[in-house]
Amino acid sequence: MVERLKQDAAASIRIESISHEYRPARGRPVQALDEVSLEIRDREFLALLGPSGCGKSTLLYLIGGFLPITHGRIEIGGRAVTEPGPDRGIVFQHFALFPWKTVLQNVLYGLQKLRLTREEQLKRARDYINLVKLTGFENSYPSQLSGGMKQRAALARTLAVDPTILLMDEPFGALDAQTRSLMQEELLSIWQRQRKTVVFVTHDVQEAVYLADRIAIMSARPGRIKEIVDSRFEQRGPALLKSPAFMEKVDYVWNVVRQEAIIAQAEVPM
Amino acid sequence: MTGALTALYRYVPLLLLAALWEGLTRFGIVSDLVLPPLSGVIASWFTLFEDGGILYHTGASLLRGVSGLGLAIAVGTTLGVLMAWIVPIRVVFRPIVQMFYPIPKSALIPIMMIWLGFGDASKIVLIFLGCMLPVTVSAFNGARGVDRVLIWSARSLGATRGEVLREVIAPAALPEILSGIRTALALSFLLLVSSELLISREGLGYLIGNFGDAGIYTSMFAVVLTVSALGFAADRLYLLFVRRVLAWRE
Amino acid sequence: MNAAAPSRFERLRPVLSLAMNGASIVALLIGWELLGRSGAFSRFLLPPLSLVLGRVADDVMSGLFLTDVVQTLYRTLIGFSISAVLGIVIGVLIARIRFVNWLFDPIVSVGFPTPKIAFLPVFMLWFGVYNLSKIALIAFNAIFPVIIATIAGTQAVEKELVWSARSLGARGREVLWEVVLPAALPQIITGLQVALPIALVIALVTELLMGGTGIGGTMIRAARFADSLGVFAGIVEIAVVGWILIKGMELMRRRLLVWHAEVESVSTV
Repeated sequence: MVERLKQDAAASIRIESISHEYRPARGRPVQALDEVSLEIRDREFLALLGPSGCGKSTLLYLIGGFLPITHGRIEIGGRAVTEPGPDRGIVFQHFALFPWKTVLQNVLYGLQKLRLTREEQLKRARDYINLVKLTGFENSYPSQLSGGMKQRAALARTLAVDPTILLMDEPFGALDAQTRSLMQEELLSIWQRQRKTVVFVTHDVQEAVYLADRIAIMSARPGRIKEIVDSRFEQRGPALLKSPAFMEKVDYVWNVVRQEAIIAQAEVPM
Repeated sequence: MTGALTALYRYVPLLLLAALWEGLTRFGIVSDLVLPPLSGVIASWFTLFEDGGILYHTGASLLRGVSGLGLAIAVGTTLGVLMAWIVPIRVVFRPIVQMFYPIPKSALIPIMMIWLGFGDASKIVLIFLGCMLPVTVSAFNGARGVDRVLIWSARSLGATRGEVLREVIAPAALPEILSGIRTALALSFLLLVSSELLISREGLGYLIGNFGDAGIYTSMFAVVLTVSALGFAADRLYLLFVRRVLAWRE
Repeated sequence: MNAAAPSRFERLRPVLSLAMNGASIVALLIGWELLGRSGAFSRFLLPPLSLVLGRVADDVMSGLFLTDVVQTLYRTLIGFSISAVLGIVIGVLIARIRFVNWLFDPIVSVGFPTPKIAFLPVFMLWFGVYNLSKIALIAFNAIFPVIIATIAGTQAVEKELVWSARSLGARGREVLWEVVLPAALPQIITGLQVALPIALVIALVTELLMGGTGIGGTMIRAARFADSLGVFAGIVEIAVVGWILIKGMELMRRRLLVWHAEVESVSTV
C-alpha cells in the first residue's frame, strides 16, 4: 500500500461565478463559460458532462490553474487558485507523456521536485508503476507503448506526487472501447484505495454515470451548469452496467444532455 | 486597408536596420571604406541603372538562370516520376541519384570551367546538372508517396496506366514536386552567383567581383543588394505561384 | 507472411537488392572508364576513372588529401557549430519573446531565401581573405535553417506537455530546459541536418573563389592549370567528405532521438 504524502488535506473545490472568454487568433472572441458556480465536495468523484464545445475542458483547465481566471473565483480548501501546482494533478486525453523519457523517468519527473531522497523517489515511482500494472515496462519509451499503457503511465506519473485533486480531461477518449472499459475499472479500484477529489470531464453519458458520485451536466456554449444529478450506487462493478437502476439513470441523464447536444450540433463550427 | 498596413508593419525592423546602417556610417562610427553609407549605395544603384549596365548584366544572369533551371525542372520531374512509376528506370537511376546526392553541386564549377570555360553554356549546364537532383528526388518521393488506395480506385474505375499517371499521380505528387523546385530555385541562385564570380565576363556575379576588385564599394554593395532582392523576390513570387496552383487543384 | 521458414528467394532478397543497387553504379563506373579510354573525348575532358583514382591515391600518399580534407572540414565544422549554437539561441528567443520575434521575423524571412553567397566579396572586404571570412560566410548561410527549425520546433510543443510539467511542480525556466527544448529537439536536429550540407557547400564555394588551402582551393588551382585530373580527383574527395558528414549526422540523430517514433532522412544541397 502506497503511503500518502499529505494526510487529510482539505480538497473541496468551490467555483464561483466563473466566466471565460476565448480569444482565437482570428475572428471574434467566444464566450466559453458563463457564470458557472459549483461546489465539489472533498473526496467526491464529480463528472463534468456535456456536448462538444460546452466548456467543460475549459473549466477543468481553470481549476488546474492553466488558464488565467478573468471573471469569478475558484477556491480550493479555502485558498484561491492562481497557478498550476502538484496539489492538482492532471491527466490528458492524449497522455502528454514526455516522449524522450522512459516510463520510469516520466514517473520520476514530479517526484524529483519533492524533497525526497533518491531511494524514496525510486521506490514511490516503482510502487505506482506496479499500481497501474506496468511492471516490466519501466525502461520503455512512450512510442513503444499501446494507448492503454500510455494512459496508465500518465496516471502513474500524476498519482506519484500524491495530488489531493485529480483532474481528468476525457482520459479514455483516445482508447478503443475494450481498453476504455478496463481503464474505467482500474480507475475505480485505484480511487477506492486512495480517495481523492476527482473532476472527470467526459462526453460519454454511460462513463459518467458509471464512474461518478455526482454529474454536473453542462449546457451547450456558452457553458452553464444545467443540472446536477446524483449518481451513487450501492455497488460498482461490471454487473452494475446491466442493472435497471443504472440504465434508468443513463436514460435520464442522456435526455438532459440530448437537448444540449442538438443545440451544440446546430452551431457554426469555430 | 488595415490588412496591407499590418503586412507592411511586419517589415518595419528592416527599416530600422537601414536607418542603423545609414547612421553608423554617417556618424563615422564605421569607416566608409568598410561600409559605404546606404544613401551612397542607393545613389550608385541609380547610376548603374541609368547607364544601362545593371539591366544588361541582370538580363544575362537571368537568361542563364532561367534556362538552366527550366531544363532541370523539365528533365528532373520527368525522370523522378518515371523512376517512381517504372521499375527498370528506378533500378537503374536510383543508385546513381543516391550516389551523387552528397556531392555539393558547386564542385561542378571547376569542371564547367574546364569543359565550357567562360560564357553562357557553362552556367546553364552547371545549373541544369546541379538543380536537377533536388527536383528528381522530390518528384520521385512525391510520386512514390501517392496513396495506393487512390491508384487502385482509379484503376478499378477503368483508367489506363497513362491516365493514372496523368490524373492521379501527377496531381498528388505536385506539392512535393513544387517544394523540390523551391529548393532548386535557391540552389540555382547559389550556383549562378558563384560561377559568375569565378568564370564569367558578364552577369551580376561578375559585376560584384569586378567592382570589388576595383575598390568601387558603393557599386559593389548596390549589386549585392540587387542580387539579394532578386533572390528574395523570386522566392516570394514562386510561393504565390504555388499557392495559386495548389488552390486551383483543391 | 507465413510462419514457415523463408523461401530461398526471400532469404536472398536483401542480397539481391544490394547487388541491383551496386550494379548500376558499377555500370556507370565501367562506362566512365571505357568512355575515357575510347578516345571519343580527349584525356583532358574526360580522364578515365582509373587515372582519376590513381591521382586520388597519389594525393592520399603525399598527404595532400589529408591536409585539404582537414582544412575544408575545419572551416565547415567551425562555421556550422557557430551557426548551430547561435541559431538555436536566437530561435528560442524569437519563439518565446514577442519583441524579439517582431524584430527578427522580417530579417529571417527575408534573409532565408536570399542568395547570401553574393555577400562573399563583402565578407572578404570586412574579414580578409583567410579563414575568418570563409567561416563567417559559412555561419551566415547555415544559421537560417537552424533558426527557422528551432522556431518551428519550439512553437509546436504541445501545451499539454507544458501544463503536465507545471502541474508536476516545474517552475519558470525549468519548463524551458526540461520540457520545451527536449520536445523541440527532433525539429531542431532536422534543421541542423539541413544546415550542415549548406555549410559544406559554402565552404567549398568560398575555397573555390578565394583559393588557398582546402579541397576547393586545390580544385580551382587544378582548373586554372588545366589539370583536369586534379579537378576530377577533387570531386571524388569532396564526395567522400560529403558522404561522411551526412552519415555522421544521421548517426547522431539516431542516437539522440532513440525515443522518436519516426526516422527522417534529409536532403543535401
